Amino acid sequence: MAGSGRDERAWVRGAQAGSASDLEALFRAHWPSAHRAAYLVVHDAAAAEDIAQEAFLAAVRALDRFDRRRPFGPWLHRIVVNRAIDWTRARTLRAEVGLTEAVAGAQPESPADARDLVVALAELSPEHRAVIVLRYVLEYTPGEIAELLELPRGTVNSRLRRGLDRLGEVVP
Amino acid sequence: MKERDLRRRLGGLEPPRADGARERAWQVVSAAFGEREPIRPTRARLRPLVSVATALALLAAALSPAGRAVLDTVRDTVAPERIVRARPALFSLPADGRLLVDSQRGAWVVQRNGSKRLLGAYRESSWSPTGRFVVVAGRSELVALEPGGRVRWSLARPGVSRPRWGGTRTDTRIAYGSGTTLRVVAGDGRGDRLLARRVAPVAPAWRPGTGHVLAFVDPAGRIQVVAVDRSDRRLWSSRPTPAVQALEWSREGALLLVRARRSLSVYNFAGRRLFELLGDGSAPIAAAALGPSGRSVAFVQTARGRSSLWVVPRLRPDASAARRVFTGAGRFTDVAWSPDGRWLLLAWADADQWLFLRSTGVQKLVAVSDLRRQFRTSSFPRIGGWCCAS
Repeated sequence: MAGSGRDERAWVRGAQAGSASDLEALFRAHWPSAHRAAYLVVHDAAAAEDIAQEAFLAAVRALDRFDRRRPFGPWLHRIVVNRAIDWTRARTLRAEVGLTEAVAGAQPESPADARDLVVALAELSPEHRAVIVLRYVLEYTPGEIAELLELPRGTVNSRLRRGLDRLGEVVP
Repeated sequence: MKERDLRRRLGGLEPPRADGARERAWQVVSAAFGEREPIRPTRARLRPLVSVATALALLAAALSPAGRAVLDTVRDTVAPERIVRARPALFSLPADGRLLVDSQRGAWVVQRNGSKRLLGAYRESSWSPTGRFVVVAGRSELVALEPGGRVRWSLARPGVSRPRWGGTRTDTRIAYGSGTTLRVVAGDGRGDRLLARRVAPVAPAWRPGTGHVLAFVDPAGRIQVVAVDRSDRRLWSSRPTPAVQALEWSREGALLLVRARRSLSVYNFAGRRLFELLGDGSAPIAAAALGPSGRSVAFVQTARGRSSLWVVPRLRPDASAARRVFTGAGRFTDVAWSPDGRWLLLAWADADQWLFLRSTGVQKLVAVSDLRRQFRTSSFPRIGGWCCAS
């Protein structure tokens, strides 16, 4: 879980001043959500690890410019989700492997209903998956998602509605 | 699926081998952190630096090819009231074509080189299909003009409003409002007749090309598409749409863009709604325009005192990939594509500025200020159209 706002600001301030332990606290607080969000958008374990890792590296590189008054999570999640969408689009263009195939291979030990949900998610476009993940995994409001992804609020609502409808058709 | 169920089920999903991934990532991130050199500017030093950087950024936005990118960077921290160091006058248009502009003084034609001609005390100007003529609403008359200002013909009618000229180079029609009615006249001023007794106060839209197909909105908010000929055959009508404000056909006539106060939809020629770009819950949409390719849409939304220009570069069923191109304080009133589709003209009323923004590719912004003075008007001038390479 991410720390409180005060903890987080203290960690960012400490990391900006060069404290590795504060950076580690920040990393451990935010890694699980970033990794899971990336995975649920790209449905590829290796790619999700790379994307979340690259997002943290980007955060380290930009640490000195980061405004401590802003929460760290949305900033990181914006990077993660946009990179995950880009990666998925690129893979679709390259048509390396069917997405459902990749997901089935990545989840051999999951319970059946969880596997069904992942497969159903994989059938959505990356843009739909991203808003579903931001809303129901990372708990952002539609307004916040619109800000994060620089989308109109109506588009976010429409994607959420269509995504839910589609998931409901596949997973009862 | 219920939201609560989805939340619960997603909450139980973990990436495979998550622990190993976390530790590998931490090794890489901590190594990168060890290589950086922290910088600790004091607050006292930082503030002037931020101010200077902001000023330089806005100056660069107005002058440099990277303008849009710079503005993207600063817009979240600096809600611009206007672009500083914008050009003081419209010296030229960045692309071929001519602009029609309506001000309190009258209708104007702006040439590529920036020269302006006042056509007269007219309003609601609109181009003919090939840009050879202009149709305007006068005081109790419909007037067809050459872009140089010479009157070709006029037709006395009460309460003329929203004239629109359509057809081909050799066979054109003009639709216009007269009171609450919708009328049609040939491009040479002959054959004026009633088409509909009552219509909503929305400009009609001719489908480009042959066939004289006209879209308009009836008082119930239904879009009516009619082949304007002897029988005035109705091709289709939509369900009622609340508060429709504008209709626009794509250049090749395959798509019809429908802008309502809070929704934006695209229909095909057969009347099927293909895309709902914005729906329930959208902020008010002040303007929208289809790109010349017919595959892209630009639109303006205003909320909480700020306006944003969005571009959907390629229409898709879910309206995905809409990108915010520019945000500023106050109202944006119009958006228009250049005839070649490479530029967008954004009218920023509260800043008294026009912004010319590259729609794709190379990022560039050109700002022009003092529009009210240039068009001799106290209310902000409206864009009647950017038409046709001259």
